Amino acid sequence: MHISEGVLSPAILTGGAALTAIGVGIGLKKIDYEEIPNTGILTAGFFVASLIHIPIGPASVHLVLNGMLGLFLGWKAFPAILVGLALQALLFQFGGITTLGINTLNMALPAVICYYLFGWGVKKSSDRLIFIITAFASGCCAVLFAGILVGLSLYLNGDAFLPAAKLLVAAHLPVMLIEGTLTATCALFLRKVKPELLESYYG
Amino acid sequence: MGDFKLRPVFLFSLIIFVILFDMPAFAHKVSIFAWVEGNTVYTQSKFSGGKRAKNSSVIIFDSNGNKLLEGKTNENGEFSFRIPKKTALKVVLKASMGHMAEWTIPVEEIDPDAVSNNSKPESDIKNSYETSSRSPTINSGTDLSALSEFHGISRQEIKKLIDESLDRKLSPIMNILADSYGGGPSLTEIIGGIGYIFGLVGVAMYFTSRKKKKYRLSDK
Repeated sequence: MHISEGVLSPAILTGGAALTAIGVGIGLKKIDYEEIPNTGILTAGFFVASLIHIPIGPASVHLVLNGMLGLFLGWKAFPAILVGLALQALLFQFGGITTLGINTLNMALPAVICYYLFGWGVKKSSDRLIFIITAFASGCCAVLFAGILVGLSLYLNGDAFLPAAKLLVAAHLPVMLIEGTLTATCALFLRKVKPELLESYYG
Repeated sequence: MGDFKLRPVFLFSLIIFVILFDMPAFAHKVSIFAWVEGNTVYTQSKFSGGKRAKNSSVIIFDSNGNKLLEGKTNENGEFSFRIPKKTALKVVLKASMGHMAEWTIPVEEIDPDAVSNNSKPESDIKNSYETSSRSPTINSGTDLSALSEFHGISRQEIKKLIDESLDRKLSPIMNILADSYGGGPSLTEIIGGIGYIFGLVGVAMYFTSRKKKKYRLSDK
């Protein structure tokens, strides 16, 4: 999911950075004092998730966890993912500093989209089955959308869209399933032990 | 305030689990390692999880950025080519999904003899004839021209033999270097990154708490 330095043209990089700046601005405005520790810990989760390498499939892929961040953080996923990616770029040399903007956009925008698409189902009051399905779908679709967005970035850069996107989505199929399950498990755990927390997010 | 106490604990244990679970830290970036043996450049490409970058395109540029040649890596992520000319080479790997890496071979590493193997300049050979004929070990009784020819060839031969055997001897070392290059991040970096994030949380809380205090003071 991390696009390396020197692959994309400056126009796409600046465009991505500008859109990311807007998203981060909205996210930072939404962070309350009480939510800072949560955001930080989910950021740490995102930061280390990229180290979990999934050996199944044709390419080298890893967990992204952007669906979980989107579900629990909403717009705050933007600053969280920006920080996570910046540290991954500096310490692990994943992606790069110039591609930080576009990479954040590619991972955080699907998170926000999933928040709006599936957030309604992840409530204490909702049916258990709906709860599980929406949480799973959030984790799953965020990776799918991120794959499509990366394909789109490469397409804007001159690559053919369909082969690139197909390859990305095919490579991330196992990741999608794992992340869907992981997100659903975490959400179920929260529903059981801290239901008022979920309610505070989608009250 | 008590709201978020349990969740951090849970997530923190998840993070710890993740770190312990994944000790041979796998990573997601692509790297290329290139080395010269004789007149050939060998390259090895892989994702830092250790998975080889198969069927990825490798493009070679000269020092001025002109494209010299292009090829695809094989099943083992390897690609080799004959050095087209004596110049610093920039080897660029373009793996799928927007991954890219590069490696530069400085001009000093390229053996001029090896590059111009086919069109060997005459002066080189003449030079070696002259030096060998000046050698004091020449037996005056033998045919001088035959001897000097023998010496000339043997100099070239020796050099070639040494190069070949060195390449052969060094190839396991080069393979070890290629394998160890571009490994995943270490535990220090992982823990360090998490530390940075928690530090940022602290800074953010500090500033928001100051804002809060100000509001409270202004309320009074």
